[in-house]
Amino acid sequence: MSHSDTIPLHPSSQSDIDEIENLINASVHQSVPSARPPSPPRASIPVSVSVSTAPSPFISSNLPPPPPLPKSSVSAVTPSPPPPRPGIATSGFGPAPNTLTEPVWDTVKRDLSRIVSNLKLVVFPNPYREDPGKALRDWDLWGPFFFIVFLGLTLSWSASVKKSEVFAVAFALLAAGAVILTLNVLLLGGHIIFFQSLSLLGYCLFPLDVGALICMLKDNVIVKVVVVCVTLAWSSWAAYPFMSSAVSPRRKALALYPVFLMYVSVGFLIIAID
Amino acid sequence: MDLGHPVGENYANPNTCFFHVLFKAAALAFYILSALFIDNFVIIFVMTVLLAALDFWVVKNLSGRILVGLRWWNEINDLGESVWKFESLDQQSLARMNKKDSWLFWWTLYLTAVAWTMLAIFSLIRLQADYLLVVGVCLTLCIANIVGFTECQKNAKKRIQQFVSRTIASRVSSTLQSAFSVV
Repeated sequence: MSHSDTIPLHPSSQSDIDEIENLINASVHQSVPSARPPSPPRASIPVSVSVSTAPSPFISSNLPPPPPLPKSSVSAVTPSPPPPRPGIATSGFGPAPNTLTEPVWDTVKRDLSRIVSNLKLVVFPNPYREDPGKALRDWDLWGPFFFIVFLGLTLSWSASVKKSEVFAVAFALLAAGAVILTLNVLLLGGHIIFFQSLSLLGYCLFPLDVGALICMLKDNVIVKVVVVCVTLAWSSWAAYPFMSSAVSPRRKALALYPVFLMYVSVGFLIIAID
Repeated sequence: MDLGHPVGENYANPNTCFFHVLFKAAALAFYILSALFIDNFVIIFVMTVLLAALDFWVVKNLSGRILVGLRWWNEINDLGESVWKFESLDQQSLARMNKKDSWLFWWTLYLTAVAWTMLAIFSLIRLQADYLLVVGVCLTLCIANIVGFTECQKNAKKRIQQFVSRTIASRVSSTLQSAFSVV
Protein backbone atom coordinates (compact mmCIF):
# COMPACT_ATOMS: atom_id res chain seq x y z
CA MET A 1 0.00 0.00 0.00
CA SER A 2 1.40 3.34 -1.01
CA HIS A 3 0.25 5.21 2.08
CA SER A 4 1.99 2.85 4.45
CA ASP A 5 5.19 3.27 2.45
CA THR A 6 5.11 7.04 2.55
CA ILE A 7 4.48 7.21 6.31
CA PRO A 8 6.74 4.80 8.23
CA LEU A 9 5.30 4.20 11.70
CA HIS A 10 6.63 2.46 14.78
CA PRO A 11 3.55 1.49 16.79
CA SER A 12 3.98 1.33 20.55
CA SER A 13 1.61 1.47 23.45
CA GLN A 14 3.89 3.31 25.87
CA SER A 15 2.95 6.94 25.45
CA ASP A 16 0.30 9.23 24.07
CA ILE A 17 2.34 10.07 20.99
CA ASP A 18 2.44 6.38 20.16
CA GLU A 19 -1.32 6.25 20.56
CA ILE A 20 -1.56 9.07 18.05
CA GLU A 21 0.67 7.10 15.71
CA ASN A 22 -1.56 4.07 16.20
CA LEU A 23 -4.53 6.18 15.17
CA ILE A 24 -2.68 7.23 12.02
CA ASN A 25 -1.71 3.61 11.35
CA ALA A 26 -5.29 2.43 11.82
CA SER A 27 -6.58 5.05 9.43
CA VAL A 28 -4.09 3.96 6.78
CA HIS A 29 -5.04 0.28 7.09
CA GLN A 30 -8.76 0.95 7.00
CA SER A 31 -8.70 2.80 3.71
CA VAL A 32 -10.09 0.95 0.70
CA PRO A 33 -7.46 0.05 -1.93
CA SER A 34 -8.10 1.64 -5.30
CA ALA A 35 -6.39 1.90 -8.66
CA ARG A 36 -5.78 5.63 -8.26
CA PRO A 37 -5.42 6.54 -4.56
CA PRO A 38 -6.06 10.24 -3.89
CA SER A 39 -3.45 12.31 -2.10
CA PRO A 40 -4.24 12.55 1.64
CA PRO A 41 -5.41 15.98 2.82
CA ARG A 42 -2.89 17.74 5.03
CA ALA A 43 -3.67 20.28 7.71
CA SER A 44 -2.17 23.60 6.69
CA ILE A 45 -2.62 25.34 10.05
CA PRO A 46 -0.49 23.79 12.81
CA VAL A 47 -2.55 25.30 15.66
CA SER A 48 -6.13 24.36 16.50
CA VAL A 49 -8.45 25.65 19.20
CA SER A 50 -11.50 23.92 20.61
CA VAL A 51 -14.17 25.74 22.58
CA SER A 52 -16.13 23.93 25.24
CA THR A 53 -18.71 25.71 27.36
CA ALA A 54 -18.15 24.07 30.71
CA PRO A 55 -21.36 23.25 32.60
CA SER A 56 -20.39 24.25 36.10
CA PRO A 57 -22.44 24.90 39.25
CA PHE A 58 -21.05 28.42 39.43
CA ILE A 59 -22.99 29.65 36.39
CA SER A 60 -26.74 30.07 36.74
CA SER A 61 -28.79 31.59 33.94
CA ASN A 62 -32.51 31.92 33.38
CA LEU A 63 -32.10 31.59 29.63
CA PRO A 64 -30.95 28.25 28.19
CA PRO A 65 -27.51 28.62 26.58
CA PRO A 66 -27.59 28.47 22.77
CA PRO A 67 -26.25 25.23 21.25
CA PRO A 68 -22.63 25.64 20.13
CA LEU A 69 -22.35 25.78 16.37
CA PRO A 70 -19.53 23.81 14.72
CA LYS A 71 -16.96 26.31 13.55
CA SER A 72 -15.45 24.11 10.85
CA SER A 73 -17.66 21.96 8.66
CA VAL A 74 -16.20 19.85 5.87
CA SER A 75 -18.60 18.11 3.50
CA ALA A 76 -17.81 14.41 3.19
CA VAL A 77 -19.56 14.18 -0.19
CA THR A 78 -17.06 16.48 -1.87
CA PRO A 79 -14.90 14.40 -4.26
CA SER A 80 -11.79 16.47 -3.55
CA PRO A 81 -12.22 17.95 -0.06
CA PRO A 82 -10.18 21.00 0.90
CA PRO A 83 -7.66 20.47 3.73
CA PRO A 84 -9.64 20.43 7.01
CA ARG A 85 -9.16 23.68 8.88
CA PRO A 86 -9.68 23.67 12.64
CA GLY A 87 -12.06 26.25 14.04
CA ILE A 88 -10.40 29.53 14.90
CA ALA A 89 -11.94 31.75 17.54
CA THR A 90 -13.11 34.89 15.77
CA SER A 91 -13.76 36.78 18.99
CA GLY A 92 -11.66 39.89 19.33
CA PHE A 93 -11.27 39.33 23.06
CA GLY A 94 -8.78 37.14 24.81
CA PRO A 95 -5.56 35.68 23.47
CA ALA A 96 -5.12 35.04 19.77
CA PRO A 97 -5.18 31.41 18.55
CA ASN A 98 -1.43 31.41 17.85
CA THR A 99 -0.41 31.80 21.48
CA LEU A 100 1.19 28.35 21.42
CA THR A 101 4.17 29.57 19.42
CA GLU A 102 4.60 33.14 20.64
CA PRO A 103 7.80 34.28 22.38
CA VAL A 104 7.95 34.44 26.15
CA TRP A 105 8.14 38.23 26.36
CA ASP A 106 4.85 38.61 24.46
CA THR A 107 3.14 36.43 27.06
CA VAL A 108 4.54 38.45 29.94
CA LYS A 109 3.64 41.76 28.31
CA ARG A 110 0.09 40.68 27.56
CA ASP A 111 -0.55 39.56 31.13
CA LEU A 112 0.88 42.74 32.64
CA SER A 113 -1.10 44.99 30.31
CA ARG A 114 -4.23 43.00 31.12
CA ILE A 115 -3.76 43.62 34.86
CA VAL A 116 -3.28 47.35 34.30
CA SER A 117 -6.31 47.66 32.04
CA ASN A 118 -8.51 45.68 34.42
CA LEU A 119 -7.46 47.91 37.31
CA LYS A 120 -8.33 51.04 35.34
CA LEU A 121 -11.70 49.64 34.31
CA VAL A 122 -12.73 48.73 37.85
CA VAL A 123 -11.62 51.54 40.13
CA PHE A 124 -11.71 54.50 37.71
CA PRO A 125 -14.61 55.80 35.63
CA ASN A 126 -14.91 53.91 32.36
CA PRO A 127 -17.35 53.84 29.42
CA TYR A 128 -18.49 50.32 30.31
CA ARG A 129 -19.89 51.32 33.69
CA GLU A 130 -23.45 50.76 32.50
CA ASP A 131 -22.56 47.27 31.25
CA PRO A 132 -20.06 45.96 33.82
CA GLY A 133 -19.97 42.46 32.36
CA LYS A 134 -18.13 43.84 29.36
CA ALA A 135 -15.62 45.75 31.43
CA LEU A 136 -14.05 42.72 33.04
CA ARG A 137 -14.39 40.28 30.17
CA ASP A 138 -10.70 39.53 30.19
CA TRP A 139 -10.57 38.70 33.88
CA ASP A 140 -7.51 37.60 35.82
CA LEU A 141 -6.74 36.81 39.44
CA TRP A 142 -3.20 38.19 39.61
CA GLY A 143 -4.26 41.69 40.53
CA PRO A 144 -6.63 40.52 43.31
CA PHE A 145 -3.94 38.18 44.63
CA PHE A 146 -1.42 41.01 44.80
CA PHE A 147 -3.87 43.39 46.49
CA ILE A 148 -4.87 40.84 49.13
CA VAL A 149 -1.25 40.03 49.98
CA PHE A 150 -0.36 43.74 50.01
CA LEU A 151 -3.22 44.55 52.38
CA GLY A 152 -2.26 41.68 54.66
CA LEU A 153 1.36 42.82 54.69
CA THR A 154 0.39 46.41 55.45
CA LEU A 155 -1.87 45.41 58.32
CA SER A 156 0.69 43.03 59.78
CA TRP A 157 3.38 45.71 59.59
CA SER A 158 1.10 48.15 61.38
CA ALA A 159 0.37 45.66 64.15
CA SER A 160 2.71 45.79 67.14
CA VAL A 161 1.84 42.32 68.44
CA LYS A 162 0.49 39.14 66.85
CA LYS A 163 1.64 39.95 63.33
CA SER A 164 1.02 36.39 62.16
CA GLU A 165 -2.57 36.32 63.36
CA VAL A 166 -3.29 39.70 61.78
CA PHE A 167 -1.94 38.58 58.42
CA ALA A 168 -3.74 35.24 58.49
CA VAL A 169 -7.04 36.83 59.52
CA ALA A 170 -6.79 39.52 56.83
CA PHE A 171 -5.95 37.03 54.08
CA ALA A 172 -8.60 34.52 55.13
CA LEU A 173 -11.22 37.26 55.54
CA LEU A 174 -10.63 38.65 52.07
CA ALA A 175 -10.19 35.35 50.22
CA ALA A 176 -13.12 33.59 51.85
CA GLY A 177 -15.17 36.78 51.80
CA ALA A 178 -14.90 37.08 48.04
CA VAL A 179 -15.97 33.46 47.59
CA ILE A 180 -18.91 33.85 49.99
CA LEU A 181 -20.07 37.05 48.32
CA THR A 182 -20.03 35.39 44.91
CA LEU A 183 -21.96 32.39 46.21
CA ASN A 184 -24.42 34.78 47.84
CA VAL A 185 -25.18 36.37 44.47
CA LEU A 186 -25.51 32.95 42.85
CA LEU A 187 -27.89 31.78 45.57
CA LEU A 188 -30.00 34.90 45.05
CA GLY A 189 -30.54 33.71 41.50
CA GLY A 190 -28.21 36.26 40.00
CA HIS A 191 -26.46 35.90 36.67
CA ILE A 192 -22.78 36.17 37.53
CA ILE A 193 -19.62 34.35 36.53
CA PHE A 194 -17.66 32.95 39.45
CA PHE A 195 -14.12 33.92 38.52
CA GLN A 196 -15.12 37.25 37.06
CA SER A 197 -16.77 38.15 40.35
CA LEU A 198 -13.71 37.11 42.33
CA SER A 199 -11.59 39.25 40.03
CA LEU A 200 -13.83 42.28 40.43
CA LEU A 201 -14.00 42.09 44.23
CA GLY A 202 -10.24 41.78 44.36
CA TYR A 203 -9.65 44.80 42.16
CA CYS A 204 -12.05 46.83 44.30
CA LEU A 205 -9.59 46.40 47.17
CA PHE A 206 -7.16 48.80 45.51
CA PRO A 207 -8.56 51.94 47.20
CA LEU A 208 -8.51 50.20 50.58
CA ASP A 209 -4.89 49.20 49.94
CA VAL A 210 -4.02 52.84 49.38
CA GLY A 211 -5.92 53.78 52.53
CA ALA A 212 -4.13 51.13 54.57
CA LEU A 213 -0.78 52.40 53.33
CA ILE A 214 -1.63 55.97 54.33
CA CYS A 215 -2.88 54.83 57.75
CA MET A 216 0.35 52.92 58.31
CA LEU A 217 2.35 56.10 57.78
CA LYS A 218 0.08 58.38 59.82
CA ASP A 219 -0.71 57.70 63.48
CA ASN A 220 -3.48 60.24 63.95
CA VAL A 221 -6.84 58.56 64.56
CA ILE A 222 -8.90 61.33 62.95
CA VAL A 223 -6.80 61.17 59.78
CA LYS A 224 -7.25 57.41 59.78
CA VAL A 225 -11.03 57.66 60.04
CA VAL A 226 -11.24 60.21 57.23
CA VAL A 227 -8.94 58.22 54.93
CA VAL A 228 -10.75 54.95 55.59
CA CYS A 229 -14.15 56.55 54.96
CA VAL A 230 -12.99 57.98 51.65
CA THR A 231 -11.40 54.75 50.43
CA LEU A 232 -14.35 52.72 51.70
CA ALA A 233 -16.74 54.88 49.70
CA TRP A 234 -14.50 54.52 46.67
CA SER A 235 -14.38 50.72 46.91
CA SER A 236 -18.15 50.54 47.36
CA TRP A 237 -18.65 52.86 44.40
CA ALA A 238 -16.43 50.60 42.28
CA ALA A 239 -18.27 47.41 43.27
CA TYR A 240 -21.80 48.84 43.01
CA PRO A 241 -22.58 48.60 39.26
CA PHE A 242 -21.35 45.05 38.87
CA MET A 243 -23.19 43.61 41.86
CA SER A 244 -26.36 45.57 41.24
CA SER A 245 -26.68 44.50 37.62
CA ALA A 246 -26.10 40.82 38.45
CA VAL A 247 -29.35 40.33 40.39
CA SER A 248 -32.94 41.44 39.89
CA PRO A 249 -33.83 44.93 41.15
CA ARG A 250 -35.88 43.62 44.05
CA ARG A 251 -32.92 41.70 45.47
CA LYS A 252 -30.33 44.37 44.85
CA ALA A 253 -30.06 45.26 48.53
CA LEU A 254 -29.52 41.64 49.50
CA ALA A 255 -26.59 41.40 47.09
CA LEU A 256 -25.02 44.75 47.91
CA TYR A 257 -25.22 44.66 51.70
CA PRO A 258 -22.71 41.80 52.21
CA VAL A 259 -20.22 43.52 49.88
CA PHE A 260 -20.50 46.71 51.87
CA LEU A 261 -20.22 44.71 55.09
CA MET A 262 -16.98 43.08 53.98
CA TYR A 263 -15.43 46.41 53.04
CA VAL A 264 -16.58 47.94 56.33
CA SER A 265 -14.93 45.13 58.28
CA VAL A 266 -11.73 45.65 56.30
CA GLY A 267 -11.98 49.35 57.11
CA PHE A 268 -12.38 48.57 60.80
CA LEU A 269 -9.33 46.33 60.62
CA ILE A 270 -7.35 49.21 59.14
CA ILE A 271 -8.47 51.67 61.80
CA ALA A 272 -8.22 49.35 64.80
CA ILE A 273 -4.76 47.92 64.21
CA ASP A 274 -2.05 50.17 65.60
CA MET B 1 11.77 7.86 16.31
CA ASP B 2 14.93 5.79 16.15
CA LEU B 3 14.55 2.90 18.59
CA GLY B 4 18.11 1.77 18.02
CA HIS B 5 19.54 4.69 19.99
CA PRO B 6 17.31 5.37 23.00
CA VAL B 7 20.22 6.69 25.06
CA GLY B 8 21.04 9.36 22.50
CA GLU B 9 17.75 11.21 22.94
CA ASN B 10 18.01 14.22 25.21
CA TYR B 11 15.70 16.93 26.48
CA ALA B 12 14.55 19.15 23.65
CA ASN B 13 14.06 22.20 25.89
CA PRO B 14 16.43 21.97 28.88
CA ASN B 15 15.91 25.61 29.87
CA THR B 16 12.14 25.24 30.04
CA CYS B 17 12.46 21.95 31.93
CA PHE B 18 14.74 23.69 34.40
CA PHE B 19 12.34 26.54 35.10
CA HIS B 20 9.42 24.11 35.18
CA VAL B 21 11.04 22.30 38.10
CA LEU B 22 12.81 25.28 39.70
CA PHE B 23 9.80 27.14 41.06
CA LYS B 24 8.13 23.96 42.31
CA ALA B 25 11.26 22.91 44.16
CA ALA B 26 11.81 26.45 45.46
CA ALA B 27 8.30 26.69 46.90
CA LEU B 28 8.46 23.27 48.55
CA ALA B 29 11.99 23.77 49.84
CA PHE B 30 11.27 27.22 51.20
CA TYR B 31 8.16 26.03 53.01
CA ILE B 32 9.83 22.97 54.54
CA LEU B 33 13.12 24.62 55.48
CA SER B 34 11.66 27.88 56.75
CA ALA B 35 9.33 25.99 59.07
CA LEU B 36 12.52 24.70 60.72
CA PHE B 37 14.61 27.89 60.76
CA ILE B 38 12.39 30.97 60.43
CA ASP B 39 9.77 31.75 63.03
CA ASN B 40 8.02 34.58 61.15
CA PHE B 41 4.78 33.28 59.63
CA VAL B 42 4.27 36.29 57.38
CA ILE B 43 7.58 35.78 55.58
CA ILE B 44 6.90 32.06 55.18
CA PHE B 45 3.44 32.74 53.79
CA VAL B 46 4.39 35.48 51.37
CA MET B 47 7.48 33.76 49.94
CA THR B 48 5.86 30.34 49.59
CA VAL B 49 2.66 31.63 48.03
CA LEU B 50 4.54 33.94 45.67
CA LEU B 51 6.75 31.07 44.51
CA ALA B 52 3.70 28.84 44.05
CA ALA B 53 1.92 31.56 42.06
CA LEU B 54 5.01 32.10 39.92
CA ASP B 55 5.19 28.34 39.31
CA PHE B 56 1.51 28.32 38.34
CA TRP B 57 2.07 31.08 35.80
CA VAL B 58 5.19 29.49 34.32
CA VAL B 59 3.53 26.08 33.92
CA LYS B 60 0.30 27.48 32.53
CA ASN B 61 1.79 29.95 30.07
CA LEU B 62 5.27 28.72 29.20
CA SER B 63 6.28 25.17 30.01
CA GLY B 64 2.88 23.71 29.18
CA ARG B 65 2.97 24.92 25.61
CA ILE B 66 6.70 24.37 25.08
CA LEU B 67 7.04 20.90 26.62
CA VAL B 68 3.74 19.25 25.66
CA GLY B 69 2.18 21.68 23.17
CA LEU B 70 -0.92 22.40 25.27
CA ARG B 71 -2.41 25.61 26.64
CA TRP B 72 -5.67 26.46 28.41
CA TRP B 73 -7.41 29.60 29.56
CA ASN B 74 -10.82 31.03 30.34
CA GLU B 75 -12.55 33.92 28.69
CA ILE B 76 -16.03 35.40 28.49
CA ASN B 77 -17.81 35.59 25.15
CA ASP B 78 -20.21 38.21 23.83
CA LEU B 79 -23.20 36.52 25.45
CA GLY B 80 -21.64 36.88 28.89
CA GLU B 81 -20.90 33.19 29.32
CA SER B 82 -17.73 31.67 30.69
CA VAL B 83 -15.89 29.68 28.02
CA TRP B 84 -12.95 27.41 28.71
CA LYS B 85 -10.52 27.28 25.81
CA PHE B 86 -8.12 24.41 25.24
CA GLU B 87 -5.44 24.92 22.64
CA SER B 88 -3.11 22.32 21.21
CA LEU B 89 -0.81 21.80 18.28
CA ASP B 90 -1.89 19.59 15.40
CA GLN B 91 -1.14 15.90 15.41
CA GLN B 92 2.08 16.10 13.40
CA SER B 93 3.55 18.69 15.76
CA LEU B 94 2.34 16.71 18.76
CA ALA B 95 4.01 13.58 17.37
CA ARG B 96 7.29 15.48 17.18
CA MET B 97 7.18 16.41 20.87
CA ASN B 98 10.05 15.11 22.96
CA LYS B 99 8.99 12.18 25.15
CA LYS B 100 11.36 13.02 27.97
CA ASP B 101 9.95 16.56 28.13
CA SER B 102 6.43 15.19 28.28
CA TRP B 103 7.39 12.64 30.92
CA LEU B 104 9.05 15.28 33.09
CA PHE B 105 6.08 17.62 32.69
CA TRP B 106 3.38 15.21 33.83
CA TRP B 107 5.35 13.49 36.58
CA THR B 108 6.49 16.72 38.24
CA LEU B 109 2.93 18.03 38.03
CA TYR B 110 1.53 15.02 39.90
CA LEU B 111 4.39 14.68 42.37
CA THR B 112 4.09 18.31 43.42
CA ALA B 113 0.40 17.88 44.17
CA VAL B 114 1.15 14.74 46.19
CA ALA B 115 3.84 16.59 48.15
CA TRP B 116 1.51 19.48 49.03
CA THR B 117 -1.21 17.00 50.01
CA MET B 118 1.14 15.29 52.45
CA LEU B 119 2.19 18.65 53.88
CA ALA B 120 -1.48 19.52 54.28
CA ILE B 121 -2.04 16.30 56.22
CA PHE B 122 0.89 17.16 58.49
CA SER B 123 -0.49 20.64 59.16
CA LEU B 124 -3.89 19.11 59.88
CA ILE B 125 -2.42 16.60 62.33
CA ARG B 126 -0.55 19.32 64.21
CA LEU B 127 -3.68 21.55 64.18
CA GLN B 128 -1.91 24.53 62.61
CA ALA B 129 -4.64 26.49 60.84
CA ASP B 130 -2.35 29.24 59.57
CA TYR B 131 0.06 26.85 57.85
CA LEU B 132 -2.93 24.97 56.47
CA LEU B 133 -3.83 28.26 54.76
CA VAL B 134 -0.44 28.31 53.01
CA VAL B 135 -0.70 24.71 51.88
CA GLY B 136 -4.31 25.22 50.81
CA VAL B 137 -3.37 28.03 48.45
CA CYS B 138 -0.45 26.08 46.96
CA LEU B 139 -2.56 22.93 46.58
CA THR B 140 -5.33 24.88 44.85
CA LEU B 141 -2.87 26.21 42.28
CA CYS B 142 -1.42 22.74 41.64
CA ILE B 143 -4.80 21.09 41.19
CA ALA B 144 -5.97 23.89 38.89
CA ASN B 145 -3.05 23.22 36.58
CA ILE B 146 -3.58 19.45 36.65
CA VAL B 147 -7.28 19.78 35.81
CA GLY B 148 -6.58 22.35 33.10
CA PHE B 149 -3.94 20.32 31.30
CA THR B 150 -5.86 17.06 31.65
CA GLU B 151 -8.88 18.63 29.96
CA CYS B 152 -6.54 20.13 27.39
CA GLN B 153 -5.10 16.73 26.53
CA LYS B 154 -8.55 15.16 26.25
CA ASN B 155 -9.55 17.85 23.80
CA ALA B 156 -6.39 17.27 21.77
CA LYS B 157 -7.11 13.53 21.47
CA LYS B 158 -10.74 14.17 20.60
CA ARG B 159 -9.72 16.58 17.86
CA ILE B 160 -7.24 14.08 16.41
CA GLN B 161 -9.91 11.36 16.34
CA GLN B 162 -12.30 13.70 14.57
CA PHE B 163 -9.58 14.52 12.05
CA VAL B 164 -8.92 10.81 11.44
CA SER B 165 -12.63 10.06 11.02
CA ARG B 166 -13.02 12.93 8.60
CA THR B 167 -10.03 11.70 6.60
CA ILE B 168 -11.46 8.18 6.35
CA ALA B 169 -14.86 9.47 5.27
CA SER B 170 -13.39 11.72 2.60
CA ARG B 171 -11.19 8.94 1.24
CA VAL B 172 -14.07 6.45 1.07
CA SER B 173 -16.32 8.91 -0.72
CA SER B 174 -13.61 9.89 -3.20
CA THR B 175 -12.81 6.23 -3.85
CA LEU B 176 -16.45 5.39 -4.52
CA GLN B 177 -16.83 8.38 -6.81
CA SER B 178 -13.73 7.47 -8.80
CA ALA B 179 -14.94 3.85 -9.07
CA PHE B 180 -18.35 4.97 -10.36
CA SER B 181 -16.76 7.35 -12.83
CA VAL B 182 -14.62 4.52 -14.20
CA VAL B 183 -17.72 2.35 -14.67
